[in-house]
Amino acid sequence: MTDESTHVLLIEDNPGDADLVRLRLTEGKSPVDVSCVDKLSDGLASINKEPPSVVLLDLNLPDSHGAETFRTVLEKAPDVPVVILSGQDDEALAIKAVHQGVQDYLVKGDFTAHHLERAMHYAVERQALLRSLEMSRKQQLEFKNHFLSHVSHELRTPLTCIHQFASILFDGLAGDLTADQRDHVRTILKSANQLHAMVRDLLEAARVESGKIHLEPRCLTIGDLIQQAVTMMSPTAREKGIGLEMGLDSRIPLICGDPDRVIEILINLIDNGIKFTPRDGSVMVKACMLDHDTDFVYISVTDTGRGITPEAKALIFERLYQDPNAVDNNRKGLGLGLYITKELVNLHGGKIWVTSDPGHGSTFTFTLPVYSLPKLLSPVITYKGRLRDAFVVVAVALAPISEPPASNWKETSERCLEILRRCIYLDKDVVLPGMGITGPAETFYVVASTDLARADIMMTRIREQLDRQVEFKANGRLTVSAKAVPLPEDISARPLEAQVEAVANSVTEMVLSDLGLKCFSRTQEAKQNN
Amino acid sequence: MEKAKILIVDDDPDLRQALKLRLRANQYDTVHAVDGYSAIALAYKEHPQLIILDLGLPAGDGFVVLDRLQKDDKLSGIPVIVLTARDAPSSEQRCLHAGAAAFFQKPADNAELLGVIRATLKTTGSVLPS
Repeated sequence: MTDESTHVLLIEDNPGDADLVRLRLTEGKSPVDVSCVDKLSDGLASINKEPPSVVLLDLNLPDSHGAETFRTVLEKAPDVPVVILSGQDDEALAIKAVHQGVQDYLVKGDFTAHHLERAMHYAVERQALLRSLEMSRKQQLEFKNHFLSHVSHELRTPLTCIHQFASILFDGLAGDLTADQRDHVRTILKSANQLHAMVRDLLEAARVESGKIHLEPRCLTIGDLIQQAVTMMSPTAREKGIGLEMGLDSRIPLICGDPDRVIEILINLIDNGIKFTPRDGSVMVKACMLDHDTDFVYISVTDTGRGITPEAKALIFERLYQDPNAVDNNRKGLGLGLYITKELVNLHGGKIWVTSDPGHGSTFTFTLPVYSLPKLLSPVITYKGRLRDAFVVVAVALAPISEPPASNWKETSERCLEILRRCIYLDKDVVLPGMGITGPAETFYVVASTDLARADIMMTRIREQLDRQVEFKANGRLTVSAKAVPLPEDISARPLEAQVEAVANSVTEMVLSDLGLKCFSRTQEAKQNN
Repeated sequence: MEKAKILIVDDDPDLRQALKLRLRANQYDTVHAVDGYSAIALAYKEHPQLIILDLGLPAGDGFVVLDRLQKDDKLSGIPVIVLTARDAPSSEQRCLHAGAAAFFQKPADNAELLGVIRATLKTTGSVLPS
């Protein structure tokens, strides 16, 4: 040991045992200073105040017993080496303790000063080793993800070049091509696109792994997204002679999710289904609610492919897993699609799994949470476990200039919503979903974690961005206004969940009254009058 | 009728060339800059109706160029379309906040890019190719 003395924290409630250990410690060769506490809570407080070199821990204390005792210490102080001093010679418990991270297990009365000193010394060394291993593991992971994202980025430039010049040839910008030449260039373009998809997957996987994906959750109609994904994948399915259909349960509530990511999930699964289904087969996308689970919507993609063996089922969501018997070798990817899909579903708070009837097909099912305003607001109005200070509702009202509105009014209003979403800060603000109940005119609401003064900046930005849109200028009129969200006086005294709920309630009331939907408050008044 | 002039800012000569061919085939006039510094200088000299800007540039990256353009009364009216190999989610927001009219990740879909160029030029009332 070093010259410096070892700080030992002894957590032991029996004074006799404590004295004995103290004695043993002073008999050792190296200098030791011991502090002793007789309760687990005092021990944790002491560790918190000044972490010792090693903890000697009795398992049966006035405020904790048995395995619970070391679990608590390991959880609260993962970096401090723990040696258990137990009255029981319980081999099973000792092994369990060591598996969970305890450095050693000594039986009281069964060790000499020398034993104890050695056990402590090795415990400290092992713990240090463990920590450095963990550090280097983290560094390697970081390096790998950095490397992946760097490489994919660098690959993109030459890839773009290939794509651009091939398409210049293909489009005849450099002169006419013969039919054969066009075919060859088409093959180059197809391969370039495939390569691009792989680079995108690599980047996406690196991003998923390093936790760099932030969802922008919104209130969504899952049917619309399924429709979009099916439309996008139809050409691929048709090309392979595979039927692509959808079936929607009529009573599906709105879901809470990031639309781009949900589409990505759907496309990955549909693409996968098409890939593993032979000609004349079919892929079916369904969404439904289950009676026993009202918090989630269930979405499934069923194919009539070869199915998945039980062995493959266990591996299928792992990185780089590829089915060795893929039907369509031409469209092999990197084996990252399902891994990314699983991570994206998990980020939404959902689950994904696969069932399969080998030889007849497989069904991938995933769940997405049902929409609720507090759930939507929570990530943006809280920061590090606390409610942010002030909130504003910005109303952006769009009205068509002409009656009836221009034929592309729907696109115009969608485009406005898209622009609006770019004018906000993703981590602090959120655009509420359009209600679409006030006729052709539409009002979008932004809940922003800010005060009225800063909301001015946002409103200016919104006006500026929308003013640039020519189709909007030709078709619509814009009103942007902001109101502070009133909060109950005692809000800070409530638990966080209730604080979020209170903000959500205020926002709901503001939006409803702004829309002129008095019916809501009137029924409430009626109730009070009764 | 005079063609609309587009300033292409990209440090990769091949990509510049490809974009030039594509735009000229669509009846646009093009001028080219290879870095942030010459981008600003050319914007002054050539009065382009639109700028297509890469982000990873020597001598002042795309964000510096965007910032300079926005802060310059003579240049702030020129719409900028960002075309970059960088990661979309993080860069896109930043570019649009910095005043870019649109954002494309390389390789961009040509038809889509041309469509946005056309729409953007229309908003600034530039002369469009027939």
